[in-house]
Amino acid sequence: MTQRISKYQRFKMMNPIIQLFKFIYLSIKIMLVVAGGHGGTRKVN
Amino acid sequence: MSKIVILGAGISGHVAAAHLRRELSKEHEVLVVSPNSNYQWIPSNIWVGIGRMKSKQILFPLAPLYKKKGIGFKQAKAISFHPEGDTIEQKAYVLAEYVVGDNKGQQEKVTYDYLINATGPKLNFEATEGLIPGTNKTYSVCTYTHADHAWEGLKALIQEMKKGKKAKILIGTGHAKSTCQGAAFEYILNVEKELHKHNVRDMAEITWIANEHKLGDFGMDGMLLSYGSMTMKSSEMVEMIFEDRDIKWIIGAGVNKIEDGVAHYENLEGEYKTETYDFAMLIPSFSGHGFKAYDKKANDITDKLFKGFMIVDADYTPKPYEEWSVKDWPETYQNPTYKNIFAPGIAFAPPHAISKPRKSKNGTDISPAPPRTGMPSGITAKLVADNIIDTIKNGKESLHHKGSMGNMGAACIASAGYGMTQGSGVSITTYPIVPDYEKYPKTQGRQLGKTFGEIGLAGHWLKLALHYAFIYKAKMRPFWWLIPE
Repeated sequence: MTQRISKYQRFKMMNPIIQLFKFIYLSIKIMLVVAGGHGGTRKVN
Repeated sequence: MSKIVILGAGISGHVAAAHLRRELSKEHEVLVVSPNSNYQWIPSNIWVGIGRMKSKQILFPLAPLYKKKGIGFKQAKAISFHPEGDTIEQKAYVLAEYVVGDNKGQQEKVTYDYLINATGPKLNFEATEGLIPGTNKTYSVCTYTHADHAWEGLKALIQEMKKGKKAKILIGTGHAKSTCQGAAFEYILNVEKELHKHNVRDMAEITWIANEHKLGDFGMDGMLLSYGSMTMKSSEMVEMIFEDRDIKWIIGAGVNKIEDGVAHYENLEGEYKTETYDFAMLIPSFSGHGFKAYDKKANDITDKLFKGFMIVDADYTPKPYEEWSVKDWPETYQNPTYKNIFAPGIAFAPPHAISKPRKSKNGTDISPAPPRTGMPSGITAKLVADNIIDTIKNGKESLHHKGSMGNMGAACIASAGYGMTQGSGVSITTYPIVPDYEKYPKTQGRQLGKTFGEIGLAGHWLKLALHYAFIYKAKMRPFWWLIPE
């Protein structure tokens, strides 16, 4: 098994406190990407 | 008064019905025709397939909700399309056949002023010999019943592993042209995590098999994405995860035959190979439902409505990969011949794939078909509903609401393991879904920053939050419309 994710990275990925902030950050960021509007491509809206 | 008929009650059909009913007064009729009695939140099938959720947690019956909300419902399947009516029926109609109750087998002409075809894909298991869920040790997680069977199969194998059996698990795509690699990607990571939980991970060899030419293609030509402070390819990200989880992979593989515990496949090199397994979850290819269409004089006009899936406002001119443009993709999902017919979600015929088409040295097409996940299905259904609402309210055709997959973002929150403290998720967003190489020529057709990936516990929480939020929305509970698609 090749360990590609370092122990420190794994700690950050699984630490509930860090991840709580990440959860809030991701929720907002995903909302901005997804709910940030959509439109056509053939004419400039 | 207008009558809007919606075929299908999946994510797309249900979203359209809910918005139409909310915006239109009661004098207008909204009718859903679907062979399914339940709404299911498909993204959570993954957790049913590992025994972490019961199927009843991801579904609810449609009839009581529709009755309460004033949406008509016929549990029937569409048979044929008659957009000009016929010599007896003047109005356009769909011929539907009831699938349950006293009316079972009876056919009815369901007339409409506007038709939304949200029938989604046919799960084309027959396209791969021997690929039948629950047989030959292969399973699927495409529906909740399939996912229930998958968990039964996996649970039995875990029990055998606890008694000392070494097992091989194969997860991925079951056809050279399958799509929905994301679901298989989620499932393989969840299965790997569950084996740890049951202390049998060291008894299993887990292998990913897919028609992608590179890991992380996902039928979207791969992605260049922001990952923390770095920029990496989706192939590198998935390779990192698979290596870290000790998952082997076979790519560029078109599975063409399944026998009991043996998958036969051809690879891009033109080699014919086999892979043995004790448990497999393989996603089938998708196809249209094979509907027929007829004009007023009963002449076959299927080619005006269907090209496998339904024809909409896309550019279907055949052209080589180098000439594909983001402008080929539809914006309003309106059929060009019959302007009162729309096909959002997975029901529309894509103009072409997103990933570069590839053939094996024997000439077999081995590359993913374009994926259309829940998020674009919901967004396109809402914009179709909005255009119909505007048209009805204004008294003239209105197509102001547009949403090309080339100008739309999507999020894929892929579960990588279940658990409030031990779970994990791979959160990926992509903008746009179909790469726009004119707008973003240096970043593989997508906008960095809006196309990003994250791995961690927060991803699991996010997927769980989306599960509850979207079921709340689908049940049309108070202020449901505030939750975006």
